[in-house]
Amino acid sequence: MKSPFFLLACLALVLPPAAASGQAIDLSSGDWEGVVNIDASVLLPDYREPWNAGQPTGGSGTGFLIGKNRFLTNAHVVSNATKLVIRTSNDPRPHPARIVHIAHDCDLAILEAEDGAPFEKLKPLELGGIPKLNTEVIAIGYPIGGDRISVTRGVVSRIDFRPYSHTQVDSHLAIQVDAAINPGNSGGPVLQDGRVVGVAFQGFSGRVAQNVGYIIPVPVVSRFLKDVEDGSYDHYVDFAVSDFPIENLAQRRAFGLQDNTGVMVADVEPAGSAGDLLKRGDVLLSIDGNPVFNNGLIRMEGELVNMNEVVERKFAGDVLRLAFLRDGKRQEADVELKRFDPYVKLGEQYNQRPRYLVFAGLVFQPMDKNLMDAHQITDSTASYLFDNYLAEKLYVERPEPVILTSILADEVNTHLTPYAHSVVDEINGVKIRGLKDVRDALSREEAGKPFVIIKLLEKGRPLVLRRDLAEAAHPRIMQTYSIRDDAYLGLE
Amino acid sequence: MNSSLFSAFSVLLLAVAAAAQSPLVLRPPEPGVQTGSLLKTNVTYQGHNQRIPWQKESPGSRRGLGVVLEGNRVLVTGQMVADATYIELELPESGQKIPARVEAVDYEANLALLAPAANGKEAAFFAGLRPMDLDTSARIGDALHVWQTGRVGELIVTPVLISKVMNEGYVVDNASFLVYEAQGIIRSEANSFTLPVVKGGKLAGLLLRYDSKNQVATVLPGPIIEHFLKDVAKPPYDGYPSLGVEFQTTLDEQFREYLGLKPDQPGVYISKVVKGASAERAGVRKGDILLAINGESIDARGDYQDALYGALSISHVVRGRAFVGDEVEIRVLREGKETVLKGKLTRKLPEDYLVLPYQFDEGPRYVLHGGLLFQELTRPYLNSFGREQLGGPLLRLARTAADPEEFETEGRRRVVFLSAVLPTPATQGYERQSGQVVLAVNGVKIGALEDLAKALDQPVDGIHRIELREFPRLLHLDAERAAQDNTQLMNGMFRIGSLRRL
Repeated sequence: MKSPFFLLACLALVLPPAAASGQAIDLSSGDWEGVVNIDASVLLPDYREPWNAGQPTGGSGTGFLIGKNRFLTNAHVVSNATKLVIRTSNDPRPHPARIVHIAHDCDLAILEAEDGAPFEKLKPLELGGIPKLNTEVIAIGYPIGGDRISVTRGVVSRIDFRPYSHTQVDSHLAIQVDAAINPGNSGGPVLQDGRVVGVAFQGFSGRVAQNVGYIIPVPVVSRFLKDVEDGSYDHYVDFAVSDFPIENLAQRRAFGLQDNTGVMVADVEPAGSAGDLLKRGDVLLSIDGNPVFNNGLIRMEGELVNMNEVVERKFAGDVLRLAFLRDGKRQEADVELKRFDPYVKLGEQYNQRPRYLVFAGLVFQPMDKNLMDAHQITDSTASYLFDNYLAEKLYVERPEPVILTSILADEVNTHLTPYAHSVVDEINGVKIRGLKDVRDALSREEAGKPFVIIKLLEKGRPLVLRRDLAEAAHPRIMQTYSIRDDAYLGLE
Repeated sequence: MNSSLFSAFSVLLLAVAAAAQSPLVLRPPEPGVQTGSLLKTNVTYQGHNQRIPWQKESPGSRRGLGVVLEGNRVLVTGQMVADATYIELELPESGQKIPARVEAVDYEANLALLAPAANGKEAAFFAGLRPMDLDTSARIGDALHVWQTGRVGELIVTPVLISKVMNEGYVVDNASFLVYEAQGIIRSEANSFTLPVVKGGKLAGLLLRYDSKNQVATVLPGPIIEHFLKDVAKPPYDGYPSLGVEFQTTLDEQFREYLGLKPDQPGVYISKVVKGASAERAGVRKGDILLAINGESIDARGDYQDALYGALSISHVVRGRAFVGDEVEIRVLREGKETVLKGKLTRKLPEDYLVLPYQFDEGPRYVLHGGLLFQELTRPYLNSFGREQLGGPLLRLARTAADPEEFETEGRRRVVFLSAVLPTPATQGYERQSGQVVLAVNGVKIGALEDLAKALDQPVDGIHRIELREFPRLLHLDAERAAQDNTQLMNGMFRIGSLRRL
């Protein structure tokens, strides 16, 4: 299993190019002081008891100075942090810091010290480019195995499109190195010729593969830095199209293709950038002028890469020029790129206070990965909805499915306990498309009907509560179970 | 040496010993009822490979004890003869054998009736055997005896005590029936697959399963056996009827109030009515409150008061006591008014299900074309993966099986899916595809495997166009290439005997 390494933020020693020859590192020079240790106090949100603040814990990683009081690190080093402290190798003082920008989808964050003065004289590290295969790199940081700064050395083993473990649903370019990257290295710089060629961020456990560490390469870092130039992070944009290789000769003939160009569009997300343009069964011929081969790759800077690499380097509102074949006719069109949100729920989410609503002991929460994991939901309807949220386009009907996660036992609801983990379909006749609908629907009274009626998806019967009994029980249950607020619906 | 005398002697001894040790008051079996009513039954079976449908699994064997009934017939569990390739009966003492055939089998009720092969020796074989009578009077608190035979045919008797009577699933998961649950310590002998359970020298049931940890024996009871034998005696065999409803208890006061039930009014809430089943034909609707069936009042849990067993699931009134074709009277509460609905009881046959609930003795249906393997979705196919590994396409298929209505309303009789792709030149690029439901082939909607077989005769411009419900949604196959590959699949490495089973 691959896991992100929560590495101690380490002071990166800027090694002179001659490092390859085994030259000693001069710890008294100021070059490496820009590599800092980041100590994070963390509060892990409690999705089982969402009204509680969460579980305090902590961790430590590496970061490095990239500009005036700006430190780059991994998002996973500072996620859910309540307090951050930066330490340099030459200064005994802890420096309180805060997050300026955080991008979970590419696992990067920018911090600033509350008081930037002590760092003014430090030299920021400079970004380099994409290193060549089999060239040497060093990783600098504060990994496990000691308290002081550490340097490891290796070569670039592979450059490929890889899943990023922090969210588990995002993939970007990543560089594999065989320099030892261990817990605590996270967020630390990986250098070649004195310049940063990547940010150490994840690896495999030694039981799975040896000497495989991954670093976030400069194109991903630069994109992040460019994105936040306007003061906020806008997230990656997504093409949201699934392609299927046209290897089969009959398939190629049926589409009227002559050569190795063209990949089949197997699925188009209706809420994605190309939702109004492409259709299943179209053949994508080129993307921004790059011919798309029948396996979905394009040639870019001399290398064959996934066609999505073109999209990776673009921003919201940028245009993608497509050529495609529909019913044998070549067409060209532009699509404006935008974010595709529904998939975010399927990945880990951070820095979010869990949302919930309690009514008469019934706890309603929006479905996402954090929730499914915390409650270990195995209800067949709920797991189907989660697993097929994208594949079956279930997000169209239910943008934010709501789950009845638990029933806090009381006389008023004691017969309802078997229905925990059900998906809520309707309340008092109102279709539930998100948690806010639950609040609105519960307050809706139907004339002459003294009941609150909750319809669950694929359960045989509605749950019925007498409104007067439920409302009388509500404050009692809140007190018994020590719940201060009966709902947190998010920022409105 | 007179071996039968010897066995009778040992029976008595064992019975006395059992009575001495047990806190139960046990009567020794009546004299004259001994191994003379039991036959060892040996079955060789061979199941079909669900995922490589042209192949069979390796053969295995089952040994059990059959009970001799009138007319030289032998009763065993249905499980015993599932996928049988050879069945023989054996006299416990002499070891003499005779081949047998299945005369009737009901896999839902898990019962089978065997008849000896007509080879002229059957009269002599059965000459010394004595048919057993059926007991249907057992109830909670009664002592029963589980009969087993030892190495040389001696009878081994184990006492058990009925502690519960209820409705439970037998071996296939689409039906539940009456069972006795009995406490006792049963030692497992060699012939343990089917064992008779006896009360007062009469057959009170067959052992269905034994939980050695809790020492609980589940017994397929006399009343269900009686139903089976009566049905077999009047061909054609109809099986056990069902109502075709799902219901929910009404113990929740607020739910009762919402439904308009009075505090002491009995009844259950009907949450689902199966299309085409007895209840729907009689006019039962979802949301009705089921009050009584054939005059038996139903309480808030869905039980009626049985004269012999006390509170018992109402489904026994239909399943265990009535026959297909019988009149049924259903009393429901609808919009505050009681209504009496009448109809005839029917049975949902396994082939009436969108997804076959079980399949024995026959192989799974399939069409293999050019390397693309198409099958019909069945429970045995899904079960062949075990319960743990369901994910991705399998999870979707399993859901189809659990909730078939969406597919049924689309006019399907079966769910045809692409189950695997064999590597051939025609399937280049499709090797890893599996689990997609087939929507249409060459423009023809696919409602069952026959439709697909027919549609494959009509390629358009030399290409088969296969539309799938899931990713990648569209495949093409070269018709000429596929035909060549078919020959290769039969004669080449795969040595596939037949490209289809319909």
